[in-house]
Amino acid sequence: MNIAEIRHLSFAYNETKSVLHDVSFSLEEGKYYCLVGHNGSGKSTLAKCLMGLQSEFEGDIILFGLPLDRKNLFSIRSRIGIVFQNPDNQFVGSTVADDIAFGLENKRIPREKMQSIIDDFAAKTGMAEYLDREPSMLSGGQKQRVAIAGVLAMGPDLIIFDEATSMLDPKGKKEIIDLVHQLRKENPGLTILSITHDVEEAARADEVLVMNKGSILMQGKPEEVFSRIDDLKAIHLSAPFFYELRAALIERGLKIPEDIKTAEQLEEYLCR
Amino acid sequence: MNFALGKYVPYDTWVHRMDARAKLAATILFMVAVFFPMATWTMTLVAQGFLLLFVSFILASTKTRLRSILTSLKSLWVMVLFLLIIYVLVPKATNTLGVAWTWNGWTVYWDSFAEAARVIVRLVMMIMIAMALTSSTKPLDLTYALQWYLSPLKPLHFPVEEVAMTISIALRFIPTLLEDAMRVMRAQSSRGVDFAHGNLWKRITGLTSLIIPLFVSSFLRSEELANAMECRCYDPREKRTKYRKLHFRVSDIFLLLAMAVITAGIITISAMKIDFFALMGIVAL
Ligand SMILES: Nc1ncnc2c1ncn2[C@@H]1O[C@H](COP(=O)(O)OP(=O)(O)OP(=O)(O)O)[C@@H](O)[C@H]1O
Ligand SMILES: [Mg+2]
Repeated sequence: MNIAEIRHLSFAYNETKSVLHDVSFSLEEGKYYCLVGHNGSGKSTLAKCLMGLQSEFEGDIILFGLPLDRKNLFSIRSRIGIVFQNPDNQFVGSTVADDIAFGLENKRIPREKMQSIIDDFAAKTGMAEYLDREPSMLSGGQKQRVAIAGVLAMGPDLIIFDEATSMLDPKGKKEIIDLVHQLRKENPGLTILSITHDVEEAARADEVLVMNKGSILMQGKPEEVFSRIDDLKAIHLSAPFFYELRAALIERGLKIPEDIKTAEQLEEYLCR
Repeated sequence: MNFALGKYVPYDTWVHRMDARAKLAATILFMVAVFFPMATWTMTLVAQGFLLLFVSFILASTKTRLRSILTSLKSLWVMVLFLLIIYVLVPKATNTLGVAWTWNGWTVYWDSFAEAARVIVRLVMMIMIAMALTSSTKPLDLTYALQWYLSPLKPLHFPVEEVAMTISIALRFIPTLLEDAMRVMRAQSSRGVDFAHGNLWKRITGLTSLIIPLFVSSFLRSEELANAMECRCYDPREKRTKYRKLHFRVSDIFLLLAMAVITAGIITISAMKIDFFALMGIVAL
């Protein structure tokens, strides 16, 4: 089932320059999507349109079978969560517990049920010991975990990460990505759209969308998309290490079987 | 900068456990009591002494360290000097404590010192009670207390919840903005802006190079925060449930009553110009 259908979406912040032109794609339930693209290609703008933060777009955005308009805004929003890049600017509550509670309060979850939800998602994101901490006493990665816990607690069917790990060190980044993969295992219906500059993360996705200058250039499985190295080069994007290496080897005349899909397998094959 | 005043210190004392609404009301009652004048100097000494003991007891109960109390009171020295000069230069018409000394036709009365002391003691007590309140109450709980006191205004279309949300967000962002300020300051210092030296004009221009980037960054922050809040289904016009709830307990009511009795007593004594010493037949100043 398609959880999101975007048809001929165009958007401009002002008359002089359009940011999105004729964007069409769809997202299937339960899949992990990565959206990659150059700075300023319109990825965040697309995310804002999907969240209903920009209402003056042309075309259709259909989420969960409902067209995104003023009437459906609340019911659609309560099913999508978004985690932004800057962890400080999305921390609303005065403490970790209050921040996780913020979305629940907005969704009018009764008070009696809140504590168990908060405890549950704080534990899942590894923040259970920090419930009483204030944001100024947390690291960037911890704040980002709180943001994720706050979004998860609202029970969304689709989560958008807008460069949610770009401020973290490699360890924090890996922890968050592993957490997302683990959450998907626990909840197979959860769809993820991760906007990222990290091609290694994109290599682990179910599908990759490539955006350039406001349009979707490619959509497909990571092996399909990243095999088109020349097309990526043309828009100044690089492929994950494995695909770059494989392309370089093929260029030098080596034959590499189709069933080799990771750098480790490639290493093994070459050593043989 | 000195942030001893207004900083929450997470201990677990009976003052900390008290309901924020009770503490807020008691603080206001105390501040009222502090400001009522007494008929004579001895009565003033008795009343202010009693209040000083009371607030010291409360502040000691919050485990606030004496050092941090003293640092918050440090800046009062300027005030002390200023008040002394004013009261010595401009004495009152009636002086009951007599002449301290005369010098070249200048008469300096003891009353001037007493008057200055009274103002200072009042200020010290205000600072102490405010410290007791803020060091024992989370800013968030204070916001909720405020919201609770303002809630009767809701039928008058006063945006109580929005105001409370605004205050709690402002409080939450103080450390973040301070961090921003520090960062901008370091960045500008490394580009040659000197915030500490030079003449007044130089310092003011230095300050604008701090304030403008700070403004820009806080506007960006506020826009992103507004987006994040909206994405999490926040709508100020809609009803929301509440995670935090304040609990009035018997001990809160008891303390509030005690504070009310003290304040009422002081107001009565002040209004009726009662002098215990005269009643007992002692002639005091
Ligand atoms: N609020 C705004 N008003 C006007 N123009 C904007 C606004 N936000 C973004 N833009 C412009 O829209 C274009 C797309 O920006 P967007 O933030 O969507 O890019 P992005 O793909 O998310 O880039 P990045 O990888 O740097 O996050 C840019 O040219 C940018 O200058
Ligand atoms: Mg972006």
